[in-house]
Amino acid sequence: MNNLQSMFTVIAMCAASISTSSIAQNAAAKLDVNFTGIEEKEGAILGVVFNSEDAYNGKGAPVRQIMIPADKADVSTALEGLEPGVYAIKAFHDVDGDMKMTTNPYGMPIEPFAFSNNAVGNMGPAKWADAKFEVKPGANVHAISIK
Amino acid sequence: MTQLDRRHFLGSGLFAAAAATIITPEMALAGTSPAGWSLAVADVDADVPEETLKLVHGKVPANCDVTLYRNGPAKFRRGTGTSGHWFDGDGLVRKFRVGNGKARLTARFVDTPKRRLETRLDAIVQPGFGSSRRDGAVVNGPDDTNAANTSVLMSGGQLLALWEGGSPAILDPETLETKGFKTFRRDLKQMPFLAHPRVETDGTVWNLGGNGKSTFVWKLNPDGSLGKAEMLEVGRASYFHDFTATARHLIIVLQPWVQEGFKFPLSTAMEWKPELGTRILVIDKDDLSKKRTYELPAFSFFHLADGWEESDGTIRFDGCLEENPTFGQIAASALLRGEHIKAPSPMLTQIVLHPDGKADMKTTRISAEFPATDRRRAGQARRFTTHVAGYRQTPFPHAIATWDWKSGREDKHGFGSHQLVEEFLFAPTGSGERDGWLMGTTLNLKERKTELHLIDAGRISDGPLATWQASLPLPLTFHGNIA
Repeated sequence: MNNLQSMFTVIAMCAASISTSSIAQNAAAKLDVNFTGIEEKEGAILGVVFNSEDAYNGKGAPVRQIMIPADKADVSTALEGLEPGVYAIKAFHDVDGDMKMTTNPYGMPIEPFAFSNNAVGNMGPAKWADAKFEVKPGANVHAISIK
Repeated sequence: MTQLDRRHFLGSGLFAAAAATIITPEMALAGTSPAGWSLAVADVDADVPEETLKLVHGKVPANCDVTLYRNGPAKFRRGTGTSGHWFDGDGLVRKFRVGNGKARLTARFVDTPKRRLETRLDAIVQPGFGSSRRDGAVVNGPDDTNAANTSVLMSGGQLLALWEGGSPAILDPETLETKGFKTFRRDLKQMPFLAHPRVETDGTVWNLGGNGKSTFVWKLNPDGSLGKAEMLEVGRASYFHDFTATARHLIIVLQPWVQEGFKFPLSTAMEWKPELGTRILVIDKDDLSKKRTYELPAFSFFHLADGWEESDGTIRFDGCLEENPTFGQIAASALLRGEHIKAPSPMLTQIVLHPDGKADMKTTRISAEFPATDRRRAGQARRFTTHVAGYRQTPFPHAIATWDWKSGREDKHGFGSHQLVEEFLFAPTGSGERDGWLMGTTLNLKERKTELHLIDAGRISDGPLATWQASLPLPLTFHGNIA
């Protein structure tokens, strides 16, 4: 589970730095990301968006961060000004609002987490190949079930 | 004329022919044909709607009003795949209700993420105690692999289906409908919770959840709420399926079957190291940092019975001890392939921990498993241990017995070679330690039906007072609870 723990640390750090991120105004794609199936309506969904396999695997920075209140079963955010291309998202539901993935006394992650395409990992993050999806010019919608 | 009379009558010349009539057909069925005993690990495809059982022997005592819940794996095969171990099948919880002179049965699978995923894929994919991870597996926490198949516990009005590596599943005690996993506190999701909690007479529950050289200690209040949740270092990554307790102490038996790293199947991550011996920790329930250590020669085990403490501080408890863990390592896997690998018999043995730090083992030389006692005497001195017995040609027992530690005698009933005997539990009707009934189930291989039996706990050798038959055979259970 160590891979998962370091992943959640990265997600939380990136999400915390949202205010410093810049938005490229000249790109042509918009992506609405919908998180569905939220069971505990509190805390926030923290997520990071990558545009390359290397970055997704920890060898680069995300292109966007997500932090939205998880106050309903389904919540969404609009990512504007993306370059059309291939992306993947890692996210978790920070239920207790401590800006980190809560673990049980044995270090097991115990807050809900998910990846784009609803890809699933095994004892670690889902693979880029399973989580990647295409963002086309214009409006795009991507739904992720997080429960 | 009985078979025995006929044998005397026929005389020695015809003994062989007479013996053949005694031995067949049950022995042939149970002994030589894998198709016989493999019904013990057969698949059930669907929940069993409520049915009234057929009384096939005896009379139902008028005052009998007992519910027996039992749990055991009942789905091992999907598509072309088979679980890697008896311990890894999906838990089917059975409710036997005796009242108003009738017996009824309902059985329902625990609706776990593992069962849902494997049903959808029509394949066995999730890893477990003796099963590998296969294509399509989803493992993001222990409860993804939770088979909820080992026992049940009534706590705070909830029926909990227990496994050992993850959370209990909550069931409706009436309908057996699954209500999700039990979370005792938000930060304690996905924590291991053994299938052998020790329940004090007031309903306080103690339990462990092992992981490497640590174990988590659970204490539940009689109302089911969390009383204590503490990590305890035990110093050795021993596998333990069970532990025991006296009124004041938790007793953790650290066999030298130790986890060496983490991999699936879990049983392959454990090594038998008899040179280490078996270590016993005695922990103060009120202050978990207070511990004493005892050393004994190496043994393996699955099950222990309740312990007690004498006025001079001597602690006694009994268990079913094996020379080595061959059964858990390989023999219980082979069962699913219809193979019987001989493993050392579990022997009913008393362990004595002396105040001077020395420890002794006193074996009864009786092969026994699934020890059961009068739960009203938890933590107090007691005289009797009920257990399954009569392991013969099959990997499963054929008899039920109670061992009398005082007289060194056994009261026993053999059900016959065609019957596989499951755990029997004590339901008291009076204050004495044997004033009551033993209630348990068998799998009748000849009739291909599961049977429920009620036995006078003080007169086991008389055989059942009443026997009921279900309309179908259900694979063998591990443990249960009387409510």
